[in-house]
Amino acid sequence: MLQVEDLSKSFGGVAAMQNVTLDFAPGSLTAIIGPNGAGKTTFFNLITGAMRPDRGSVKLAGEDICGLSPTQIVRRGIARAFQIASIFPSLTVEAILTATVQAHMGYAERLMRRFPLPECRDRAFEVMTMLGLSDKAAVPASSLSHGDQKLLDIGLALALEPRVLLLDEPTAGMGPEERWQMIAKVQELWERQKMTLIFIEHDMDIVFKIAQTIRVLCYGRVLAEGTPAEIRGHPEVIAAYLGTSQETRGS
Amino acid sequence: MTRRSLAFDLLVGAAALAILALMPIVWPSKALVDFVIRGSAFALFATSLNFLVGYGGMVSFGHGMFFGLGAYSFALLMQRTGMPIPAAFALTLLMCAALGLIVGAICVRLKEIYFAFLTLAFQMLLYSLIILWVPLTGGDQGLRGGIPRPPFLGVNLANQMHLYLMSCALLVVGLILMHHLVQSPFGYTLRMIRDNATRANFLGIAVFRVRLTAFVLAGVFAGAGGVIMSLFVSGAYPEFAYWTISGEGIFIIMLGGWNSFLGPVVGTVILLVLNDFVTRFTEYYGLTLGIIILLFALGLRRGLLDVVLDAWRRQVTLAGVGAKPSGVSNAPL
Amino acid sequence: MDFATLATCLSSPACLVTQATGGLIIGMLLFLVAAGLTLIFGVLKVVNFAHGSFYMLGAYFALTIFQLTGSYTLTILGAGMATAMVGLVFERLFISRVYGQNVLMQLLVCYGFVLIFDDAVKIVWGPEFKSMGMPATFQVPPLFIAGGVVPPFYLFVVGIAFVIGLALWLLIDRTRLGKTIRAAAYNPNMVAALGINTGYLYGFVFALGGLLAGFAGALAAPVRSLTPGMGFSVLIESFIVTVIGGMGSIAGAFVAALAIGLIRAFGSLGFPLFTDGLMYLFMVLVLIARPTGLFGKEIA
Repeated sequence: MLQVEDLSKSFGGVAAMQNVTLDFAPGSLTAIIGPNGAGKTTFFNLITGAMRPDRGSVKLAGEDICGLSPTQIVRRGIARAFQIASIFPSLTVEAILTATVQAHMGYAERLMRRFPLPECRDRAFEVMTMLGLSDKAAVPASSLSHGDQKLLDIGLALALEPRVLLLDEPTAGMGPEERWQMIAKVQELWERQKMTLIFIEHDMDIVFKIAQTIRVLCYGRVLAEGTPAEIRGHPEVIAAYLGTSQETRGS
Repeated sequence: MTRRSLAFDLLVGAAALAILALMPIVWPSKALVDFVIRGSAFALFATSLNFLVGYGGMVSFGHGMFFGLGAYSFALLMQRTGMPIPAAFALTLLMCAALGLIVGAICVRLKEIYFAFLTLAFQMLLYSLIILWVPLTGGDQGLRGGIPRPPFLGVNLANQMHLYLMSCALLVVGLILMHHLVQSPFGYTLRMIRDNATRANFLGIAVFRVRLTAFVLAGVFAGAGGVIMSLFVSGAYPEFAYWTISGEGIFIIMLGGWNSFLGPVVGTVILLVLNDFVTRFTEYYGLTLGIIILLFALGLRRGLLDVVLDAWRRQVTLAGVGAKPSGVSNAPL
Repeated sequence: MDFATLATCLSSPACLVTQATGGLIIGMLLFLVAAGLTLIFGVLKVVNFAHGSFYMLGAYFALTIFQLTGSYTLTILGAGMATAMVGLVFERLFISRVYGQNVLMQLLVCYGFVLIFDDAVKIVWGPEFKSMGMPATFQVPPLFIAGGVVPPFYLFVVGIAFVIGLALWLLIDRTRLGKTIRAAAYNPNMVAALGINTGYLYGFVFALGGLLAGFAGALAAPVRSLTPGMGFSVLIESFIVTVIGGMGSIAGAFVAALAIGLIRAFGSLGFPLFTDGLMYLFMVLVLIARPTGLFGKEIA
């Protein structure tokens, strides 16, 4: 589904990404892990068109999407949720999701009809129910709790019915119980929607529990890839994480 | 018929028009008639500016360019060509749209304060051109000679009452149209861009195109305000294109409230009343107005209608009446 | 358009010198005002729409001080300090309440004060045009350079403004205080976290802006007529200078101010009815080419 070949990006002499080649099969659930600064978010930025790579190619279902604008890439089916929830503070959850669905359906610039369009609102409610946010439909996004804001952020990406969904640290900033609730939802969504899911995570327990494949990035390169079992005992991976006590919890 | 439907708006509009039409009969006063006509011009202008500022997050300091262009275009078309009033009106709106397209295409991609200043620069450039082009515009003396008003469809704008009714009608129709735009899918896309343009981009929204469209639409309605003004003064004056018009527009929005659709209308009434009353009671207009502004800016911190609506909504929630309906929330934005 | 007059002038050294001198004095005065404006914006992220009023107050303070003391030196210093005080009080009591808010709120507070200052001046000094007159030292015949007329006072103003500008640059670039100010512009939270009283700092910056505007007013007083509305046109022009130069850049303000001054001087020959228009055209062209101004940086 998603093929990345020889992807490279430098910022003023610092190589954030070097010759990264990865393949993501349709419907797979992949975790991307790595120490801070490994280039994980840069990777997402390059795939979604937020940045242009210096070298290499990105192909979505065979089509080269390198150089396309973020808007064009979104239209082709890659959607992204952000590490720090990026939402629309003054609008309600329902309005936000309805407007997103509306954008996805191509109605964003319609002048003649009234908001909300019934078909858009229905789909928005589906997304809300999937995420468990339906009881908060009329709440302005700025009043939501941190966890709910992250859910909404994911909901925005979901509303675009993506073929590839990128989640950037979906459990960041959450307490232990909330984390598992969040990740359970993520897994449920993946099973239901049958999309290609790629997520960045720091919590190794979660990663090892639900990921099919794990890719490890370090200093902008692919350090290792494999199943959780393979990665768990991988000497280089353990070495890369030595010293960060939190993250060796799971190994 | 829910709160949000066009039919509801039309009903409210018809009622408002009826009240406005009856007012001069109940309270005959030339001052009132003049007040409402001027008020219509400014209310259209300010509401169109709030379309950009409040709903789009695009603070323009040069919105007055459309008011000025509207006034001059209409006056010149009527003076120089023989066309009927409705045709001149339509052509004027078209010219405002064209100006909006050109200026908007250049300005809209800029951020915040730079957008504000470049729009101001364009407005002052237009003003300078008006002053310069004496044979066409009369220069700093303004356009003299009055505006021919051939009757159309039984309406004779030489008659003050007809002008009054026409202004009210234009105001009501303009407000209904703008409200419809605000409540359309486009309107909500605009709000999303206002709140978080970067994320909107990542949702597949064509941010530049939406902003440009909003800019052009706002310009058209502002131009309509300019037309009313030119009919009111029977001509056009360079002041209509001076930066102070834009300043008054911003001022009106701040006074009336930028979080409610009708805030600018309330603000227009407040400003015009202030203008008239204050000059009557004191020669220190600036001092009084300045203090009132400070009271708003430092005290209320919001426009009047926003304060009133917020208080009303708090009452409603406290009383337990009306849990937020399952439809889109009551927040106007 | 009067290209003939313009062309004649450009080919005559005498005219060139006369006009250029006129342009220089306009430019230098504008620079002083704009420097304060751009400093306030750069550090406080506040667009001080009342800055033109500071200039006006400076001029009126100068008028009174000169009438009382007869000493132009005292006048310049006194007007500057008085306006600096106004700036400080204005910031501490009013602007500090609207930091971080909608720019329209800040605009409104400033606009309120513009109206109040204008009327206050009318009440204290009267609405008629006033004139300070040329200080005795400068009531001397003009110099003739290359045949062009150069009033000594103009030279003085240009010189003093240049010195003040240099002092400002040294302050910002070379002193510890200047470094703190620049740091605060870049990262106010960090500066506060380092234990520096940002309140004092912000007040100082506003006072500095007032000082500069006050100096400008005092320097302009002998050659301009004083009237309560004089703040407006200066405000618009100094904004144009600040935007063209790049908000937050003093060097940019210098270059832009000189450019505007010269455009005015020579533009009024060739385009007598469109002199202001030239200025706006220049602004439009610069902003199209470089949206953040000549020396400006991207706003985060």
